[in-house]
Amino acid sequence: MDLMKSIVIAASGLRAQAGRMQVISENIANADSTPSQAGGDPYRRKIATFQSEMDSALGARVVKLGAVKTDSSDFQIKNEPGHPAADANGNVKYPNVNGLIEMTDLRDAQRSYSANLNVINATRAMIQRTLDILKS
Amino acid sequence: MTIPSVAAGAYANVARLADPSAGLGKAAGEAANGSSFGAMLKDALNSVTESGHKSDAQTRSMAAGKADMVDVVTAVSETEVAVETMVAVRNKVIEAYQSIMSMPI
Repeated sequence: MDLMKSIVIAASGLRAQAGRMQVISENIANADSTPSQAGGDPYRRKIATFQSEMDSALGARVVKLGAVKTDSSDFQIKNEPGHPAADANGNVKYPNVNGLIEMTDLRDAQRSYSANLNVINATRAMIQRTLDILKS
Repeated sequence: MTIPSVAAGAYANVARLADPSAGLGKAAGEAANGSSFGAMLKDALNSVTESGHKSDAQTRSMAAGKADMVDVVTAVSETEVAVETMVAVRNKVIEAYQSIMSMPI
């Protein structure tokens, strides 16, 4: 039944957005993770990617969370000579995580999740309405 | 996807019931022997039970902290649709049977 298929496709969207949410929460939680040794590299921001995949059992293209890539932009450098992770010049590398960008991504993931949930709700309503014909 | 096939099977069986010239057992190629309503009901019920077991297993593994919530929700809603379709078809057929039985002869 096609309606059941759309529920499964929307569920794949839910799963992908949940995975993206995990990556975003990882970035936000690690926004202040400094290097473990002096002069080392701190946490590097991760980026979730999505890819369309053919589900042969379903006969439709579903979305899957692709490889989680790292953001290659520069780290933030702060001058904190007393910091245990400071290099010879007293500079400490902080993660390349921008709170504003993460929050925007978070909202985007939230909205996409809601959109997929709405698809599921609408599809369920359509199935129920069709079944109502049989019940009356 | 078991559910679409369950529902499709139920619909097809009902359609074949309505058209007695097409043999249910032969056309279905399944365990259903003879075009009796009981056999059709049993067949459909078995498939619904099977999908119920699937959603049960998903719920249990979620309780154990293993399964994804999305999987549980889809499995349960699939079962819900299958059971509701099944019940609606059964009610309809029993209604038809009763109206035949109450026919004055």
